[in-house]
Amino acid sequence: MQPLASLLVWSGISLLGAAAFGVLALSRGETVNAAWLLTAAVCTYAVGYRFYSKFLADRVFGLDDRRATPAERCNNGRDFVPTNKWVLYGHHFAAIAGAGPLVGPVLAAQFGFLPGTLWLVIGVVLGGAVQDFVILFCSLRRDGKSLGQMAKEEVNPAAGATAMLAVLFIMIILLAVLALIVVNALKASPWGLFTIACTIPIALLMGWWMKRWRPGNVGEASAVGAVLLLGALVGGGWVAGQPHLAPLFTHGATALTWMMMGYGFIASVLPVWMLLCPRDYLSTFLKITTILVLAAAILVILPPLRMPALTPFASLGEGPVFAGKLFPFAFITIACGAISGFHSLVASGTTPKMIARESDARLIGYGGMLMESFVGVMAMIAACTLDPGVYFAMNTTPAALAQASQALGQAGFVVTPEAMQALAARMGETTLVARSGGAPSLAVGMAQIFAGATGALGGRTLDALWYHFAIMFEALFILTTIDTGTRVGRFMLQEIVGHVWPRFAETSWYPSVIASSALIVTGWGYFLYQGVVDPLGGINSLWPLFGISNQLLAAVALCVGTTILIKMGRGRYAWVTAAPLAWLVTVTMTAGWQKVFSADPRLGFLAHAASLAGSANPDAARLILNDRLNTFVALLFMTIVTVLIVTSLWEWWLVLSHRKTANVHEAPYVEAGYATGD
Amino acid sequence: MRRETEGRKGWRHALRRMFGMPDYEAYLEHCREAGHPPRLTEREYVKEFFDSKGTGSRCC
Repeated sequence: MQPLASLLVWSGISLLGAAAFGVLALSRGETVNAAWLLTAAVCTYAVGYRFYSKFLADRVFGLDDRRATPAERCNNGRDFVPTNKWVLYGHHFAAIAGAGPLVGPVLAAQFGFLPGTLWLVIGVVLGGAVQDFVILFCSLRRDGKSLGQMAKEEVNPAAGATAMLAVLFIMIILLAVLALIVVNALKASPWGLFTIACTIPIALLMGWWMKRWRPGNVGEASAVGAVLLLGALVGGGWVAGQPHLAPLFTHGATALTWMMMGYGFIASVLPVWMLLCPRDYLSTFLKITTILVLAAAILVILPPLRMPALTPFASLGEGPVFAGKLFPFAFITIACGAISGFHSLVASGTTPKMIARESDARLIGYGGMLMESFVGVMAMIAACTLDPGVYFAMNTTPAALAQASQALGQAGFVVTPEAMQALAARMGETTLVARSGGAPSLAVGMAQIFAGATGALGGRTLDALWYHFAIMFEALFILTTIDTGTRVGRFMLQEIVGHVWPRFAETSWYPSVIASSALIVTGWGYFLYQGVVDPLGGINSLWPLFGISNQLLAAVALCVGTTILIKMGRGRYAWVTAAPLAWLVTVTMTAGWQKVFSADPRLGFLAHAASLAGSANPDAARLILNDRLNTFVALLFMTIVTVLIVTSLWEWWLVLSHRKTANVHEAPYVEAGYATGD
Repeated sequence: MRRETEGRKGWRHALRRMFGMPDYEAYLEHCREAGHPPRLTEREYVKEFFDSKGTGSRCC
């Protein structure tokens, strides 16, 4: 493009984005159309990608297409394979996109649509996408090494061990909170439970098809699986209407907790091809299709946002969905849509082994994360199209609702029991009150958007089907994360114990497989159970813990990235990772401190425990124990990251003050084949 | 006609790669290009492929 034309186009995009932000920020009291939110987000992504990611690629990392990538040097036709950048973009996006960017923004909507959207958009451009890109780049230059290995080699062995321990603990909290979302979505929902239960035999059939009957024919097996899945979705509606069948699939949260734990254990012990792989394929297809359809539906109907830009809970800190003020809790709650520590595991996993040219890392690492943020923006839109009264009634337990009733009434966020009952009936459920966790309210929002976009096909008569489709979509890929997370946790535990008992590290030795799977499941199952029986709803305590741990993992990744940049002699650009690192540490440490030491019993674990001391509540002793355990976990995360930051700072000081030779552990330079014409 | 077949094959490979599916044809092609016979039969390849999938992380 000619320089003048380019200048005009990019100036136009920047002005359009600024105008959209202006409309969002200045609207008070009137309804804002989702189009403004989409415009602000897309323009910011475009400018960020065009200018900031180019600066990172060219000046900071110095991506060099003449240098052979691991995919070219170690090409084995299996995991190391040079792959087209658009194909790999899809592959990477499918691996990083999970429930986090959908649920986090829905929960953060309690502050209004503006704070969450601003953080989703600005946080990703300056932080989340930078983290993904820098870790992908570092791993790419090190033959696809993992984050833990890079921490060990580039910072020091203690940092490597700390990072590994952090990942294990974070995994346990992550699995507990994701399982809690599914439990809250499926409790007392025969339609939902039937559909999700059917995915197990469907996945087993697919596994047999693609492993035994027609080896490698995943496409065929997935097509059959998708048809059966849609059949299960429709069948669920029929089952829910049968007086003899519906009770078989109607269970409370505690029973579902045990089922989830049993499922997680079996999935971890069975061979991967039987359950894990087929479910993974099904959820990937469903995830990509649904996200594309949701984006198209939002663009078609451009729904108005009924939630205000800011709610009173942003400053009061007494939100019924979760306690705490906008700072730091909006940032902790949004988590994955803006910055996700877990992406550093994917960016140092399969993706770097498939990159054909170094410059492709820009689209895949930075661009992939922008798309994840866009998913978060769509979730925010879906949640904010709900009536605020409905939103709060769905995401709040009766106890928390009673505490916040005055603030809700003053803000005009009220809904009648009759209206909630009518909504539940329209969605094919018996009740939608106190369905905390974000998934059901997102499903209602998505159902309304889908029903609006398909008005000619039946409009609201399809609400119940769309609602359960959305629940199935969310539950399916959460269960995939539980499968893989339990298994990965099991491998990590086997490796750790293997240092003192080598036999335990054998991943095919069944006593070790069973014992380690049981320990991991017990770990996340315990937190899940305490979330289920928590009178304030487990989301209030578990989601902030998950957010803190996820963001602290991002801090670990940014620490490693900054260390590598400094060692590469690019210390003058270290601010690109050090600035988001400083922000993350500030936010997460503040949130962690408040969750432990706040004097407000709704917020602080210790204050909550103190408020229960001497109480007549028969569950008081258990609740106090849980508060103390949560305190321990929060302090453990904070300590782990403090250790890593201190060791990193020490390493930076040694290198920058020339007391230590900067020794980077990059793979040796080999000229790319296509560059030399081979 | 040949171009069309190659185009379809390209799409098939791309979709398999994007969704992380096993692609034995691509493996055979790689072995041909590298000038060595395939080390794995189709069943062995599929088994190894699925086994390695179980060790990767999925994001939240």
